[in-house]
Amino acid sequence: MLKKGDYIIFLSIAFLGVALLFFNFFGKQTGKTVIITEKGETVYEGSLSDDKTVTLSGNTVVIENGCAYIESANCKNQVCVNTGEISEKGETIVCTPNRVVVEVE
Amino acid sequence: MAKKISTYALLACVCLIFGYIESLVPLTAAIPGIKLGLSNSVALLLLTKRDIKGALAVNITRILLSALLFGSPFSLVFSLSGALGSMAAMLLFLKVKSVSVVGLSALGGTVHNIFQLLAAFFVLGSAVKYYLPFLILAGGISGALTGIISELILKKVKTNGKF
Repeated sequence: MLKKGDYIIFLSIAFLGVALLFFNFFGKQTGKTVIITEKGETVYEGSLSDDKTVTLSGNTVVIENGCAYIESANCKNQVCVNTGEISEKGETIVCTPNRVVVEVE
Repeated sequence: MAKKISTYALLACVCLIFGYIESLVPLTAAIPGIKLGLSNSVALLLLTKRDIKGALAVNITRILLSALLFGSPFSLVFSLSGALGSMAAMLLFLKVKSVSVVGLSALGGTVHNIFQLLAAFFVLGSAVKYYLPFLILAGGISGALTGIISELILKKVKTNGKF
């Protein structure tokens, strides 16, 4: 049975989540640069408007038409490939198995 | 003692099976780490029986085994951070009378995801912070669902207050 405290917890979670969601989208703007890090080290930094294919040890990152996406990955879950294209400031693609982060700034 | 150990082992196995089934049914492709978290129902079961040591033992066993079987060293760090954070949060609210299992579970789910992201923050860098709102909301929803399931289990399973 739901009690008063439950509703307080639900509301707090919803409020926190939605507030942070607004914070995420507020001031969202098209990014300029792409930063690719692998195992904590920056391996590529370049403009989003320069078409380029960056090959890492396990992932292939493609930058074209102002978007960046991971074309292929050698891992099992393919989360990074399924993330799709990113182009807005602050958007990221993360590949946990290979510790690769693609970030638009 | 022997009975207790075998019960914990059994419960850890149940957690592993839950985890395996969940890994077969990915809920979303876009945000990593979103799942129902059915294993938490076992922790909830033990916590509501005031068996805090047992809950901790089963949880840590489950995480170590699941990392060995299906995961990587990083998934171990993520799970451990998430599980310990959510256990601590649920322990804090365990004695609050106006919070039921469902609320407890929702809280646990959210805190689990926050701590998991915190671990990812250190391993992968600050970029992962944009997942935070999604993970908070997803943790709350999946936690509440797991809580409802746990409440049903608690009603059915008669343990006479001990295992």
